[in-house]
Order: sequence, then structure tokens, then C-alpha cells
Amino acid sequence: MSFGRFVLKRSLQGLGVVWGVVTVVFALRFVTPGSPINAVAPLDASPETRQAIATELGLDQPLYIQYGQYLFKLLQGDMGFSYIRGQEVVGLVFGRLPATVELALAASIVAIALSIPLGVLSATRRNEPIDYGATLLSLGGISTPNFWLGIMLILVFAVEFNVFNTSGRGVDVGDVALSLVGSEPFFGTLLAWLAYITLPAIALGTYFMALITRLTRSGMLDELSKGYVQAARAKGLPQTLIRYKHALRNTLIPVITVLGLQLGTLIGGAVITEAVFSWPGLGTLVIESINRRDWPVLQGSLIVIGTSFVLVNVLVDTVYAYLDPQVVND
Amino acid sequence: MSERLQAASGAGRGPDADDVLSVSNLSTRFFTEEGQINAVESVSFDIRDNEILGIVGESGSGKSVTSLSLIDLVESPGRITEGEVWYRSPDLADEFRSNDAVSVDGDHVDLRTVPPRVRRSLRGPSFSTIFQDPMSSFNPSITVGEQIAEAVEVQRRATANPRSTRSRTQGYGLGQYLLDGIIPGRGYTSEESMDRAIELLEQVGIPDPADRVDEYPGQFSGGMLQRAMIAQALAGEPDVLIADEPTTALDVTIQAQILNLLREVQEERGMSIILITHDLGVIAEMCDRVCVMYAGEIVERGTLNAVFDDPVHPYTEGLLGSIPDLEDPKPRLQPIAGNVPGLLDSEMDDRCYFADRCPNAMESCLEKPDEIVVDAATEHGAKCVLAERPYDPDEALPADYFGGDSE
Amino acid sequence: MVSARVIRNLKKEFRNSALAKIGLVLVISIILVATFAPFVATHDPTAQQLDQSQLPPVGFSETAERTSSQMVDGEIQTVTETVEIEPDPDHVFGTDSLGRDMFSRIVYGARTSLAVGVLGTLLAAAVGVPVGLLAGYHRGTVDDALMRVADVSLAFPSLVLAVALIGLWGRAAVDIPDPFVVAGLAPEMPESFVLPITVVIVVGLVNWVWFARVARGEALSLRGQEYVKASRALGASDNAIILRHVLPNAITPIIVLGTVQVAAIILLESSLSFLGFSGTTLSWGFDIAQGRDYVSSGQWWISSIPGFAIMLSVIGINLLGDWLRDALDPGIEGEGGAA
Repeated sequence: MSFGRFVLKRSLQGLGVVWGVVTVVFALRFVTPGSPINAVAPLDASPETRQAIATELGLDQPLYIQYGQYLFKLLQGDMGFSYIRGQEVVGLVFGRLPATVELALAASIVAIALSIPLGVLSATRRNEPIDYGATLLSLGGISTPNFWLGIMLILVFAVEFNVFNTSGRGVDVGDVALSLVGSEPFFGTLLAWLAYITLPAIALGTYFMALITRLTRSGMLDELSKGYVQAARAKGLPQTLIRYKHALRNTLIPVITVLGLQLGTLIGGAVITEAVFSWPGLGTLVIESINRRDWPVLQGSLIVIGTSFVLVNVLVDTVYAYLDPQVVND
Repeated sequence: MSERLQAASGAGRGPDADDVLSVSNLSTRFFTEEGQINAVESVSFDIRDNEILGIVGESGSGKSVTSLSLIDLVESPGRITEGEVWYRSPDLADEFRSNDAVSVDGDHVDLRTVPPRVRRSLRGPSFSTIFQDPMSSFNPSITVGEQIAEAVEVQRRATANPRSTRSRTQGYGLGQYLLDGIIPGRGYTSEESMDRAIELLEQVGIPDPADRVDEYPGQFSGGMLQRAMIAQALAGEPDVLIADEPTTALDVTIQAQILNLLREVQEERGMSIILITHDLGVIAEMCDRVCVMYAGEIVERGTLNAVFDDPVHPYTEGLLGSIPDLEDPKPRLQPIAGNVPGLLDSEMDDRCYFADRCPNAMESCLEKPDEIVVDAATEHGAKCVLAERPYDPDEALPADYFGGDSE
Repeated sequence: MVSARVIRNLKKEFRNSALAKIGLVLVISIILVATFAPFVATHDPTAQQLDQSQLPPVGFSETAERTSSQMVDGEIQTVTETVEIEPDPDHVFGTDSLGRDMFSRIVYGARTSLAVGVLGTLLAAAVGVPVGLLAGYHRGTVDDALMRVADVSLAFPSLVLAVALIGLWGRAAVDIPDPFVVAGLAPEMPESFVLPITVVIVVGLVNWVWFARVARGEALSLRGQEYVKASRALGASDNAIILRHVLPNAITPIIVLGTVQVAAIILLESSLSFLGFSGTTLSWGFDIAQGRDYVSSGQWWISSIPGFAIMLSVIGINLLGDWLRDALDPGIEGEGGAA
């Protein structure tokens, strides 16, 4: 199988999962206590509104028609209407998505940039102080609740030293990009952006940093003891190439699988990190809509979150296939 | 020639001019939780130009650790504790002649005394190794061609620079690696080294080498992969090729092909091969001289004919007795009773280590025997009292002396 | 199967690993504290003493601004004064904004965390293990269906799904009478323990898929084993084979996963109660949430101390998990989602 066909096949599988996600969200209206209308209508809705919702959901129709209409609307980009906010769900959800993506990306970059070198150092200097330090750090990292870590970061850096912002997203990464060409001073904008994003990114990224450090360390130890490493030493290959081109590459292959599986944890973590830092992303939208019983928005958010998960996993598999071309043939 | 034998058995004389490598009193120990393991015990031997030297022994006799010790690849908790490894290299000798920390004797340098980076720089261009299992000795996620090209590149970069700066320029740092990764068309290996890899694959008899360089080790058969490993070992144009059980993991029909290939490349390139194996058939087929190892020691050595036709040490006799003879299949195979000792320092008595399994053990075997010259002309020597005098039943140790059924 | 070899490995690994010892000590302490909470706690964790609110932990004194309303000349005036607040040795970890004893709240919080962690894990295993074993053993349609369900299930982050389900179903809790208090051994303590039952059910339902994956993998590899084939040839029924041969051999990785899951569910529970999606107010996550508002005004301990409690418990369980994994080596490193 060629690389292209592999990606195509994997994308089709992903599409199947997205269909499943959408179906599960559709099914949620039937596990709502009472009528599915309750899943859409505000608590104080007038009988007319309730009637309008019943028609919109097609509740007078057979189930398969309801489902068909629901899918059809989704395909047209219609995720329903939030009667509580008086807004289309699509606009709301996609308005919040960039903030979450920015936070999740920043956290992943912090996590990956720190963890892989740390894991490699820890494995290549086994039983030296840096190894013990990395082991303790990663043990603490996977055991610390991220929302608490966020609050502690606020306590230390924002309250005691007053160096970072503790809530909101006053400047986004788009502003930083614009300042490169626009009239705003670039470094000032960059610093302002960092002041907002640093603490949330650390709070969200720490768990992953710890997890990847652990996986990289144990994977490297495993790979470095293998025959091909000894053979590479015997043929005189420089240490750098043995470690990074040979051993690390093989270490990262299973690490990437685990990260794909743990992506849900990243998104879940983003929800709660956003709550701590009042970050205006999908997470805060989810919590708000549950607290206000705004089900259409919750459903829309769930679909977007589920779809993003699938999308990123397809991307991860593509990278995987690139790193280890043999998976294409499996 | 008897002096030579003396030298080789560690009497403290320097290496001879035609020794590519001369090892003297080499000891390697492993410091494990269970205790100290004497994997290689004061081993001495030399490898000359254009010869194939066989090292034979059961698994656990220390023959593989000996080969790893030569190229300084013994890993923690193992350590080379003693010994000299004289390597003939006029360049190195000149470079270090004025250095007091380094032992130099004529054209030979004691590699145990040179800085580690110099030892490292000799891997590939001076010593190459073929390992037992080709499947695990290639990185499964990098193409075979790329891995051979790496070995070519090691050699290319080594010879592109004068001897004195070689070890420095071999350093290939993380910054360099990342830079090469970012800039397209750059990398450790180059198109030239890949072309050379194709040539090498062709030389070792792999069909369609230009296509196969892009395949992964998993797409090769065991025999083809072992050929590829030989190609990789030849990439460095080494003086000494160490072949550690090169045919053990292969089918019998493939074994002969690989051995023929090894002999061919040895003859063509005029290099020396150290062939390590447990298979006496392979030794008989290939080697000029042979060393028999037992419990970390060389117990018998000499030319192939001397050792095979006229073994002195009962262990060698036992080994020879445990292979079937096609021409004379009548006598039953004689397996050696008991097992190889565990080599734990605390459990090793100061005696002939084979005495507990030896059918001819005598009272004098309770002292550690020195190597005794059997026949200087064939460089035949053995660490056994039987080299001096015949077996005397009156002095025999009682059968249950070592606790009967020794473990 | 827990053979003699397994026990020997466990002992050997335990002797060689200082971390395993620390883990075991932490976990045993938490179990003891949670079980005997009424005797360990010094106060009723729910009793409010407004005149003793916001006391710092022993060893720290705080300056705080207190506003109080006073009647001055017949008018109500708000007076702000800076006062030095000294810790009270009676409250080692201080008190929260309503004057509840933090130490006792931490002690009782251990009960919630442990109960939800263990019950949630058992529920997840009870659902996931049979499904996984059946799917892996029979393969075919059942297996394909399970894998698709698992894929979809993984696409929803545990926390998001849990929040959504609790939002839909409400925050039910059951009161379980505390036997020690009922027996009159600790009369001043709360009479019942509040178990947030929705949370238990939801975390169980959200995490079953990890067990299903591991059980399936084991069943897949075990079904090809000679002794399983032999049993089938002898006419044993599939269910009997699964119970007698597959389950016992799959149990080791399931136990290791279960340990990791208890830690993951404790983190998940604390996240849920932090966000206000729990049926109990006696929870570490809840205390962190209520202390959060006081972080900027100087009462750092209300949020900090429960976090350390979570961290220590999860570290303990993770160390225990590492020990089991290293000793049993079922090769499931890195699986099992957290909050």
C-alpha cells in the first residue's frame, strides 16, 4: 500500500468515527430526563417556543426521519439554535474553537519541547542526579491535578510576583502575527500574549510533559539496549546519530501512539484549565452551557470536540506512518 | 617460533611486526548484584596479516565478551579490568610516541592506553564486527541502504581528514544533526555513500541492489540480511573483521554461502578475520589457527591441524568428540558431562576450571596450570598438565571430589 | 494467575525499589485515614464556626483585612481594619472561609476520593472486562463492533463526557450511615457518608473502554494458545474456557490497569467536584474550588492543602502501579486516561 492510500484509508476510518460521534450526540436527547424538547428549550420557554422546537426537531416524525434530518442539517453546517443565547450554535462554537486550539497547541509545544530532551537525558545518564530529578518531576507531573497546578501558578506568579495575567485572553496569537506587519510593536504584543498564555499553557502541559518524559525515558532505555545500537556503535557511528537518528526515532513511534490515545485527556484538561483561567474557549462554553442548561450548545461543542479528536488522531497516524513506513504495509 | 607462543601467552614481550592485533592478559569482569563475574580471564592471543583466527567455545565461555572487549564495547556493569591490546598503526604510533601516558612499541600502540575517543574512532575503519543475529542488528525502521551508507560515511569522513584530527572531526553533534534535518538535501549520509552502499551490496551477492537499498530489514531474508551486514562491515575497509557467530542464526544451506562469502572477501581484501563460533565444523572449514576458550580462558591454541588432529586438553577432546563424524558414524557421540561454570568470582576456586568435568582430573589439577608448549612448530600450547606428562590413574581425583554431580 | 513466580517478582522488585516502598506506605496511610476518618478527624468537617474562619495553618501567621459592619451613631458603617491572624493549634491546617477545620475536611475528603476511585474502577472493570474478553475471544462482528464503540468512546474526553452526563442526569448522592458514628464511637462526627453516586456511575461508564481494550488484547493473544485450543477440542464450552483459562491469565494486566485507573479516577473526581459537578461538598476538588476565591486575598492554604492531598494519593497509587507493572510486566505502559 502506498503512503497516499494509507492516509486515505485512515481518513475514511476517521469519517466513520465522526459519524459515530454525531450519532452518540443525537442519542443524548433520548437520555435526557423528560421530553427531548427539554434538551433544547430554556426552562422558562413559552408553549409557542416549545412547539416550534418540537417541529424543528421533527418530533412528530418517525425516528429515522428525525435522524436523517439531523444529519442533513449537520452536513449543511446547521448545529441548531440556542434559544437561551438567541444565537446559532455554529457561530458560537467555532468562535470559541481558536482559543482552545491555541491553548492546546501552546501546552503541547511546551510539553514536547521539554519532555523529549529530558527523557533522553534521563535515559542516557541513568542513575545520575539528572535522572533522579527527571523521574521525580515526571512522577509529580502525572499526579498533579492541572486545575490545582493552575491555581498554584496564579498564587505564586500572579499574586505574589505579579508577573502574569490570571484570566482571559487579551491578546491572541493572531494579534502577534499581525504586529509583525502592522503598526503595533512586535515585542510588546508578543510579551502581552505570553503574559496571558504562559500560565495556562504550563498548567495544561505539565501532565503531558511528565507523561512523555516517562515514556521517552523507558523507551530509550529499551532501545539503547537493543542489538542494532550495539551494531551501530561497532560500525563507528557518532553517538549523536545513534541516540537521535536510531534510538529516539524508534522510541517516539510508540510514544506517538500513546499520545494519540491521550489526546482526549488534553482536551478534557483544556476544559478545566480554561475554567481556572477564564480562558474564552470551548471548555468554558461547555461548562457555561451545562450550567445554563443550554443543550444545543453542549451538543454542538461535543461534536466539535469529538471531531477534532478524530482529526488529530488521523494526523498523528500520518506522522506515524511517515516515521515508520512499515505500518503502511500492516 | 616458541618465543612467539610465549609472547602470545602473555610472557610480557611486545607484539611482532606481522601482528595486526596482539592481545595480552586481557581480563573483563562484570560487577553485578549477584557478584563479580570473570567473563574474560587473562586472555592473550594475536591476529596476523591475512589470516582467519578461530575462537571456539561453548556459550558462556567468554568468547563474545572477548570480541566486544577488543572494540571497547563492553557495557556497564562490565569493565575491562586489565590487559593490553596492541594495534599496529604507524600513524597512531607516531602520534602518541611522545605521549607518556600511551604505550607505544614500534608500529604498535596499546589501545588500552589511548584516549577513549581515539578508540571509538577505530570502530569501522579499523575494526568491523558482524553480529550473530542480523535481524536484531539492523534498525528495523531505517532502510538497509541507509544503514550501510552510514558505515560508508564513517569511513569517508575518517579518511577525508588526516589521522591526527580524525577523532575530532568524527564528532557529529546534536546541533549538526538538527541542522541537517532542517535543511533539505543534507544529512549524515550523502548520495555518494548511498552509491557505495549499492556497490557493496552487489559485492556480497545481493541481486538488484539498487532496489533493495530502499527496503527495510524486515523485507530481507535472514541470509540476505547477513550478507548486508557483511557489506556494512566491509564499508569501513577494516584491518580486522570480527565475526561473532556469523552463521548461527541462519539455515544450514545459507551458512555455507555466508562462510564462502567471508572467505572470499578475506582473500580479496587481504584483511584478517577473527571468527568466533561454537561450531567446530565452521572452524575446521575456515580457520588457519584456533583458540579454544573455556570459562573465560584460552585453554588450548595452535594451528588448525595441530589442535584438531592432536588435541591435548581434555576439553578440546571433548568438544571434538561431541560432533558427529560422517566418515565414521559408529562410535557414539561423547557429550561432555556437566555444565559450563557460572564464572562468579566467589565460586571460582584457584584450580583448573575444567577439573570438575574432566574425565582425567588429577591431584595436580587442583593448582592453576600455566600454558605449556606442546609443539613450538605448530604454535601448539595448552593450559593442561597433560601437555607435560601422561595421565596417571594413581593420581586421579575421586569421582565425587567435586560433590558428585556437579552443577 | 497469581503464581509463586509472580509473588517472587513482586517481592524482589519491592526490595530493590525505594519508590515502591514509598508508594505502599502512602496508599496504606490513605486507606487507613479514609476508613477511620471519624477517629482521625479532630472536628466535624462540616461544622461551621464563623468566628474562627480563615485561620492559617499552624506555623504561619497572616495579616488580613477584615471588614465588619458596626453600628455607629445609629448608622451601619463598614469598617476595614488590618489584623494579624494567629493560627490556632486546634486547627493544624487552619480553617476555611466558613470556619470549618481543614484537617478534618482533608481526612474526610480521602473517603470520597478513595470511594469514588475504587467503586468507579470496579464498575468500569465490571463492564469493560467481560465485553473485552468476549470480543477478543470470539472476534468477528462482536469484536468489530466493540472496537468501533471504543473508537467513538475515546473521541469524547472523559471529563467532557462526564460533565455532560452529570449535567443531564443531575447530581445524585446517597447517604451511607457511618458505622463508627452509629455505634457511638465518635458521636461528634457526621452520621453518614455522602457518596456521589452519579459521579461513580459516570466515571465507571466513561472509563470502561480502557478495560475493554486491555481485556480484548489479552483474550486475542490467549485464544491462540495451545491449552485453549486443547480445551476447545475437548468440547469445553466457550464461556467455561473464558472463565477458566482466559480470565485468569488476563488478570495481571487488568490489575495493573486497575491501579492506574484508580489514580486517574481520583483525578477525574477532583476535577468534577472542582467544577461543581459532584453530589458532595466533602471533597478535595470542592475545597480547592472554594479556596480559589481566597487565593488573591492571601488565604492560600484553603486551596493548596487539598491539592497536596490529591497529589500524595495519586503519587502513592502511581508508584504502586509502577511497582506492579515492573514486577509483572504486562506491557501496558502509558495507557489509561487521566482527568
